[in-house]
Amino acid sequence: MADKSHGLIDDQPIIRLENVSVKYRMPQERIGTFKEYFIRVLEGKIKHRSFNALNNVNLSVNQGEVFGLIGHNGAGKSTLLKLVARVIRPTIGRVIVRGHVAPLLEVGAGFHPELTGRENVYLNGAMLGFSQAEMHEKFPRIVEFSELGDFIDAPLRTYSSGMSARLGFAVATDSQPDILIVDEILSVGDEAFQHKSFERIQSIKAQGATILLVSHSMNTIESMCQRAAWLHRGQIVTMDTATAVVDQYLGRVSEDESRQLSMAGHAELPGGEKEYKPIEIRQVRILNHQNHEQQTFHTGEGMQVEIEYLAHEPIDSLEVGIAIHRQDGVHITGPNTAFDGLDIKAPPGVGGVIYDIPSIPLMEGMYHLSVALVNRAGNVILDYHDQYYFFRINNHGHDVHERYGVMTMRGEWHML
Amino acid sequence: MESQPTLNVVYDSTRRGSVIFEELREIFNYRYLLLQLVRRDILTRYKRSFLGVAWTMLNPLGMMVVWTIAFSQFFKASNLPSYPSYVLSGLLAWNFFSQTTTASMVNLVWGGGLLNRIYMPRTSFAIAAMGTGLVNISLSMVPLIGVMFITGLKLHWSILFTPISVLILVGFALGVGLLISTLAVYFPDIAEMYQIVIMAWMFLTPVMYPETILPAQYRGLITALNPMYHMVKLFRIPIYFGRLPTLAEFLIPLGISVIVLLIGWTVFTKKSDEFAYRI
Repeated sequence: MADKSHGLIDDQPIIRLENVSVKYRMPQERIGTFKEYFIRVLEGKIKHRSFNALNNVNLSVNQGEVFGLIGHNGAGKSTLLKLVARVIRPTIGRVIVRGHVAPLLEVGAGFHPELTGRENVYLNGAMLGFSQAEMHEKFPRIVEFSELGDFIDAPLRTYSSGMSARLGFAVATDSQPDILIVDEILSVGDEAFQHKSFERIQSIKAQGATILLVSHSMNTIESMCQRAAWLHRGQIVTMDTATAVVDQYLGRVSEDESRQLSMAGHAELPGGEKEYKPIEIRQVRILNHQNHEQQTFHTGEGMQVEIEYLAHEPIDSLEVGIAIHRQDGVHITGPNTAFDGLDIKAPPGVGGVIYDIPSIPLMEGMYHLSVALVNRAGNVILDYHDQYYFFRINNHGHDVHERYGVMTMRGEWHML
Repeated sequence: MESQPTLNVVYDSTRRGSVIFEELREIFNYRYLLLQLVRRDILTRYKRSFLGVAWTMLNPLGMMVVWTIAFSQFFKASNLPSYPSYVLSGLLAWNFFSQTTTASMVNLVWGGGLLNRIYMPRTSFAIAAMGTGLVNISLSMVPLIGVMFITGLKLHWSILFTPISVLILVGFALGVGLLISTLAVYFPDIAEMYQIVIMAWMFLTPVMYPETILPAQYRGLITALNPMYHMVKLFRIPIYFGRLPTLAEFLIPLGISVIVLLIGWTVFTKKSDEFAYRI
């Protein structure tokens, strides 16, 4: 496969996929032993289920382009990257890749904990296909970029995860590849390292490399890629400019989410009607400042959480609380009426409170909202919807400069 | 100057020659990787031990002592001069075979996740295992010669033939290693099963006992049909017996080695495209 160019003209795309399908053929049940296998063969009972990881994909990426791939997990993004990295071959179709492909590995893939940083650099370089002479030449630069200093001669098991991430990244990106494959690598390591790797990728890009980028961050896709493709169930849904594809993708995502939300709204609330509650949460709405229900906000936008309750008996000292969790479970905040000195006497019937957030400080992501009604007398939870509501922060198309972390402090910079 | 192996080249998934030869060319391109993998195996194996690589020599020596204490009285009637040298020479060849074949398989199955992420010639792990085995067997020659010297066995010039014996053994081990690696990718149980097979196989091979103790009616069957019998013998002849092998003693193992290697290489490379789907 390493034949010299067979007369491919220079303005042809650097990566081309023609009618590519990848079909994984999986036994329907896992057959792990010989005995079982032979019994099945004799019975003629081996059934295979084929699973199309990619289905008739056509794709061209030009030299110097930064091309983004988006889609849900299992949509075929990684399979596509593997085809380009020639780790797997297509079941049907043709893959043409021109030039040296450098894949960015997950942190520490191929590293051995007992070897020193130095030994690992040479081993890793060899795995990436470099010769001894090349590795000797690269070594000082790699050490410098990784900022490991004297640690380079310590065994890798003594490194922090950030240190091995830096080292792995330094080895993979030291040379100028023709094609760089980046699979969510920007989300590892500490912030400083993320920034540094971001800059390194920019400089590789500036020198004319083609980059294939998979990311779940629409900001990254939009800010780095010229074009992008949206993969869904092994097929390309849209291939266009990155902005257009991200727009479409987010449109669909928020549609899906609204549908989920309204379905959830009709579903029976937790606890159901069976159990008697002196007071219950009747309705929770997440509104923008125009009083419209909304699921997707951007950082800095105003938000109101409207909570309606129905009291079946008078509650003398009601406390209404909410909690916001990031999708990964981090508890962001938990304001309640008692903290803010609001004492609620709820007579029987419908009542409600609004929690007004003038400007959401949260960065991009999915957030869950919990609502609780508590009787302050005795501190009894009367009704509780645990992470039952959600909203998304998406800064796409909005003037938000900050990129990292959970929240913005809305600080300002001044010259000293 | 050596440049990046794939720079300025076109990879076209539909254009490929025979996988069998393509793998050979890739292995040549990635020869530095082989060196690094061997280096890794040797460095990491003894990294935390005080005696380090010396264990490569001490291990077979210790085994030899155990075997000698256990069996030298038992086999006295067989009139073997220097039973320790006999055992040790057989053990070196046997250990080479069992360790390299097991390592080929284990490295592919356990280290194979890497093959899912970056391209490397798939035979790298098996070939590197042979390289590691070669380093070990070379180092182990030192205690072997020492034991022969101490037990009063004469060294003969025929010992210079040993590298050829080892090369033939490498071919056979690589062939077997590739075959069982292929199997182990599909049936993980093979890895466990192989340990038992290799144990039984060792007892069926005259490694620590002289072949003369085998019952005459089975001797021909056990020896002629057992490839490792020929391999161990070819290794032993120039060292322990101090003579050059006869033509038959040379050609039979050579033939077995070449055939098994060809079969193993072909099966492995033909199936290796599927590995990334499986591992």
